[in-house]
Amino acid sequence: MAASQTLPADHADQRGFGNPDPSAAVIRASRGKARSVNFWRSLFLLVGVVAFAGCGKRETLVESGNRTQVLHRSVGQDLKDLDPHLATTAADYNVLSALFEGLVAEDPVDLHPVPGVAASWDVTDGGLTYTFHLRPEARWSNGDPVTAQDFANAFKRVLTPALAAPNAPALYLIRGAEDFHKEREKDFAKVGIAAPDARTLRLTLAHPTPSFLSQLNQAVWFPVHLASIEKNGSATDRANTWARPGRLVGNGPFRLEAWLTGQEIVVTKAATYWDAATVRLAGIHFHTIEGVDTEERAYRAGQLHLTDALPAGKIDSYQQEAPGQLRIDPLLNTFFYRLNLTRPGLRSVQVRRALSLGIDRNAIVAKILRGGQLPARAFTPPGTASYTFPVTATDHAAEVATARQLLAEAGYPDGKGLPPIELLYNTSENHRLIAEAIQEMWRRDLGVEIRVASQEFNSTLEARRSGAYDILRSSWSADYIDPASFLDIFRSDSGNNFTGWSSPEYDAALTAAGRTAVPAERNALFQKAEALLLAAAPIIPVYHYTHVFVIRPEVKGWNPTLLDHHPYKTVWLEAAR
Amino acid sequence: MTSTTTALAVPPDRGRSPWQDAWLRLRKNRLAVAGAVVVLGFALLCAFGPFFAQSYQVQNLNLGATGPGAAHWLGTDTLGRDLLSRILYGGRISLLVGLVASFVALVIGVTYGAISGYAGGATDRLMMRGVDIMFALPFTIFVILMMVFLKEPMQLLDAWLRNFDLLGVRPFANLQGVGKILLLFAAIGAVEWLTMARIVRGQVLAIKQMEYIAAARTMGVGSRRIIFRHMVPNLLGPVIVYTSLTIPAVMLLESFLSFLGLGVDAPMSSLGTLIKDGAEKMEEYWWLLVFPGGAFSLTLLSLNFLGDGLRDALDVRSSKD
Repeated sequence: MAASQTLPADHADQRGFGNPDPSAAVIRASRGKARSVNFWRSLFLLVGVVAFAGCGKRETLVESGNRTQVLHRSVGQDLKDLDPHLATTAADYNVLSALFEGLVAEDPVDLHPVPGVAASWDVTDGGLTYTFHLRPEARWSNGDPVTAQDFANAFKRVLTPALAAPNAPALYLIRGAEDFHKEREKDFAKVGIAAPDARTLRLTLAHPTPSFLSQLNQAVWFPVHLASIEKNGSATDRANTWARPGRLVGNGPFRLEAWLTGQEIVVTKAATYWDAATVRLAGIHFHTIEGVDTEERAYRAGQLHLTDALPAGKIDSYQQEAPGQLRIDPLLNTFFYRLNLTRPGLRSVQVRRALSLGIDRNAIVAKILRGGQLPARAFTPPGTASYTFPVTATDHAAEVATARQLLAEAGYPDGKGLPPIELLYNTSENHRLIAEAIQEMWRRDLGVEIRVASQEFNSTLEARRSGAYDILRSSWSADYIDPASFLDIFRSDSGNNFTGWSSPEYDAALTAAGRTAVPAERNALFQKAEALLLAAAPIIPVYHYTHVFVIRPEVKGWNPTLLDHHPYKTVWLEAAR
Repeated sequence: MTSTTTALAVPPDRGRSPWQDAWLRLRKNRLAVAGAVVVLGFALLCAFGPFFAQSYQVQNLNLGATGPGAAHWLGTDTLGRDLLSRILYGGRISLLVGLVASFVALVIGVTYGAISGYAGGATDRLMMRGVDIMFALPFTIFVILMMVFLKEPMQLLDAWLRNFDLLGVRPFANLQGVGKILLLFAAIGAVEWLTMARIVRGQVLAIKQMEYIAAARTMGVGSRRIIFRHMVPNLLGPVIVYTSLTIPAVMLLESFLSFLGLGVDAPMSSLGTLIKDGAEKMEEYWWLLVFPGGAFSLTLLSLNFLGDGLRDALDVRSSKD
């Protein structure tokens, strides 16, 4: 859960929908644009000709990769660590899911839980007890068998307070785990984790959780090889450098070959993996590339098989020139503004709702983003595991009228007398455009004048933690496919709330939903909770992301998945003849 | 005898003051005149243009980015705002920041440097060590600290100004972010004066040793007259030259601060922020970079030509003939 503290915003940034390109309808504009595209194309051509004259044609990384089944992709910034229990970002997960495997794995198409290290499992006690039967052929990359004790050791490591694992609260699902992690209980035997023999792992939950198996795919649930960690120091010392090439022992389909700081992370196929016969890739290179524009250039130069994102301004040209390479996949990620309820003007629920109603979401999605994003009138993206919050799409003029009325009711007719409000976003082209567009919508339609300010990403995280903001751009991506992954963050006791809003009724509805197994009842409870959230408006949802990227046609098995997870063992390369 | 009287009767050519000399020399320098015309023209356009042009903040999302055309002479940006008015408005802010911050630097720098140089001795050493210490402070951190600590008071000032009511008229109601701009002036001025102080001090030290100063002193001329009659005209050359170079430097600094999110706030723009935004999109919309960049470069180039011309015209020693 806390994982996503950095994850969503990172996400958004890497996906950062670089440049908008809203010239669509205007013919004059497209003519001007075509001219400029021609100019740049001829410039590139010229540079290309000069370069080729100099050195002749060389095989690109993509071409050699196609020959040798080596996938080239980017990880954005270089990673801090490869310790699965300390991982926080989507980029971390992209590498770690190649090196480790949890009890269950993900189906490559819809990500439902499929057997991983556990060949099968039984659910008993009305959904309270999960007994996993580990496959005997599961091996670590040093040849040791993967045992139930390895998992128990890993979970104990995560829950040890000294490690300060950011995602440890994800394990609170297990009975007694929270008490142990918060040092209210010293005896680990009281925690619902048992390994009666090397092949059997029994987990007892605090309460029935229908989404439990899906949650097991977060990196924090991955096993670690304790003996190899302890060879390099204490297992709960964050400074332990066991996660380096030559030392890291994993159990995933790939093993860590090299890590060249600031350049690339190289993994190669692990012969010890139990399902090595399925794995078709010989290796993966994760290149360190910062910035969506740089990444797109690297892709064009044949250095990457796929990108993490695509600048919005390039969508049109790819659509025209290489339509087969452009992909717009759905993604469970919402762009929203957090409101600080301790600030004078934002204390009023009418003001908050007026601000939310004053945003023309359709215009933002259609004119600025232009990558198939959905306008967000609810927080949970529609279709999150059969759950869709019913929103009544009203005409924007009517919304504005309601908003003005609400402002007047709050005692600020036409925004007069409202204390100064600042909208803070982490520096990015798209965030700036959206912030400025919304600033103007509020000024024009509601008479509310706000300041917009940008800060670098880590500073906005700090502002979020310390509450030093009025309105803060945020985003949240699901850790697992379930509405709870979204709605849980605004519970009173959540470490990700940060708005100052709390509602016992909301908490109760979510707790009840977490313990209900019947889908219809569960969804009704989620719906009740989300209605409370939207009525109180501690947040303003703006839009639901899509994943816009380009990918070479040679890459096969790269399915559109809601979490942008792509199990590498079912990915392969096939050069066109 | 007669001839002598006639010669005396002809009124002698009135002597030209050094300022008239300088003006004549400046007028002969074509580049400098062209520079002055461009700078003045741009300044006038920026000052009065926005009253006639379209709004710099009204957006038209449906229009989006369009190239130059009849409705929008220089095109529109990605949010459909008229680029010409944004350039004029941005030029206003940039020139204002450049001029005011340079003026702040000039006043502080010249005063500080002159006092330090003229006093000499222990005072000089103390004051110059002060400058050294200021130089050693990392500029960015200094400005960021200033921006952070003075943010709240500036917002209060801002709010007060906008609600300022003079007999039912609110003259500043539409001004946004004035506090932030004042803060920018102060922050940049507070840093840029250091070099100026050093230059002035050096000049004063050198001039102090000149024979004509010694001569003036032996003839009993007072300190004040020495400073204003004999020293200041000799100081002016370097001061003007350095100031004319400070203005573009300050304008660049302002765009750098805007990049860090410390500059002018949206929806206002300065030329620096316009260029930054344009550079990110130059592959798709060239006009967003070319026009603001052109206006900025032209202004800086003209300022430099003008500065060069002023130096040639005002540098008393190199132009004595």
